[in-house]
Amino acid sequence: MRPQDVRVVERLQPAPDCVELVLEFPEDEEPEPGQFYMLSAGDGRDTYLPRPLSFFRTFSPRRMSFLFRIVGPGTAALGQLRARDRLQAMGPLGHGFPLPERPLRAVLVGGGVGVPPLWSLGRALRQRGCDVTALIGARTRSGLLGQSELQGLGIEVRTATDDGSRGYHGPVTDLLEDMEADAVFACGPEPMLRAVQAFAERRPLQDTYLALEAAMACGYGVCLGCAVERSSPDPELGPYGIYARVCREGPVFRWDEVKL
Amino acid sequence: MGLATEVAGIAFKNPVLTASGTFGYGREAAELYDLSLLGGVMVKGVSREPWSGNPPIRIARAPGGMLNAIGLQNPGLDHFLTVDLPFLRQYDTRVIVNVVGHDEEGFLAVVRGVDGQSGVAAIELNISCPNVADGLLFSQDPDRAAGLVARVRQATSLPLIVKISPNVTDPVALGRACAEAGADSLSAINTVLGMAIDVVRRRPVIANRTGGLSGPAVKPVGLRIVYDLARSLDIPVIGMGGIESGRDALEYLMAGARAVAVGTAVFRDPLAPPRIIGELERELEAAGFASVGEAWAAANPDAKRRTQDA
Repeated sequence: MRPQDVRVVERLQPAPDCVELVLEFPEDEEPEPGQFYMLSAGDGRDTYLPRPLSFFRTFSPRRMSFLFRIVGPGTAALGQLRARDRLQAMGPLGHGFPLPERPLRAVLVGGGVGVPPLWSLGRALRQRGCDVTALIGARTRSGLLGQSELQGLGIEVRTATDDGSRGYHGPVTDLLEDMEADAVFACGPEPMLRAVQAFAERRPLQDTYLALEAAMACGYGVCLGCAVERSSPDPELGPYGIYARVCREGPVFRWDEVKL
Repeated sequence: MGLATEVAGIAFKNPVLTASGTFGYGREAAELYDLSLLGGVMVKGVSREPWSGNPPIRIARAPGGMLNAIGLQNPGLDHFLTVDLPFLRQYDTRVIVNVVGHDEEGFLAVVRGVDGQSGVAAIELNISCPNVADGLLFSQDPDRAAGLVARVRQATSLPLIVKISPNVTDPVALGRACAEAGADSLSAINTVLGMAIDVVRRRPVIANRTGGLSGPAVKPVGLRIVYDLARSLDIPVIGMGGIESGRDALEYLMAGARAVAVGTAVFRDPLAPPRIIGELERELEAAGFASVGEAWAAANPDAKRRTQDA
């Protein structure tokens, strides 16, 4: 991890309220799927804290993209950037998804803007000879992100929307029930992740991993802002062990490691 | 350029410290730069037993800063002495141990545990955390603060710094009570109580409801309190609150701080402390000061006069 001065190469708008920024780093980067960066744009007046974002696509060792929805001043400042603008990127941060040793049947579950970390994961799994299916959900069809990019990796994509405007009408996690899977990797809003936890317990499927999002100030472990409750705290640590840091111990946890 | 400074008998190679609660025990920042560059490290608050901290959400965004209600999550005294302090001893920097407690006995147990340990330069008594149930207990009443400081004074010969809350009517009265009870120095300011509202969920953003505001937004509050403490009291002040540049650090020195601490800035720029050391050197020169000592209280004639009278 290190802070770097990066440059915007291209700004794409895959949905009305979503932006994909392609960034050029000064040195080669080798982030693991599921790791993230803290991005900060602007002078800090409207939004002081940097924004944690998982990287989406990688194009070359120095070029990768970040896909996000504009929800507040932080993402608005990032969304206003144009080609040639500069910004700070601190990373790569946290622990990514564990990758299997042998080829297996993997299912990716992405909700809304939770899809980005699944692209690099899907590519890594495909490179390991895995059979990969992606389940993508959103409130409505314009919020379905990353579908063509995942298909470009040779991954079968199934979709679900809350309003039935495309694909399955209902929660994307319903689609898990019919899947034959050796491993599940999920990223999305908390209710979706809770449903994935319930699936992992029911089936049971121990190799189920969740990438969490949390309110975060630093991203590298010093602020203790991004606490998530552990399922079975280390008794040696006493009350201190109740919470893990999403930024440092995560953002990827096995389904049974955290209480959501 | 003379960057060296002295606070309560402690010699610092430069006046830039890292503020408690924004730096852990140094391990993460040490992955980014050599901690020996720093004048000092004020560690995350240490309590007698491990503390869990508050439930999430603990962080909220704010214009020009942020709110936090971490609630002093820390692994406790034993862990600090056996794991964190030995790590920090590797570096040539002054380690100041921030001490927290729910009551006098809790504070005293940590002070006694830290006293006599090699590699500890001073104790910072944190009687000003707004994010735990009784965090401000000792700040609300100068007599109560003085009572705690007097007992801690008996328990250790280490230099004793008391961290002052901005969430009181009269920070100077609080500082004076601490000075008279034996404090060697004051650090100011802790965070400013605040709140953020989540319109969609119809409740405060932070689970603790309130949080402490920090970042550039609080710099004017910090400068005012440091200025008032320096012109009213004889013990040295360590200034903090919204410092994110060498210029900010210089303003605090000129207001009357003998040293400064960088806090929230490290969230936005993890390299802020070493960067600010370099910037401060240039700012001092540009302002015509040959040393930190020359800049001290340059904007606070009352504080300067006190030292001349003394």
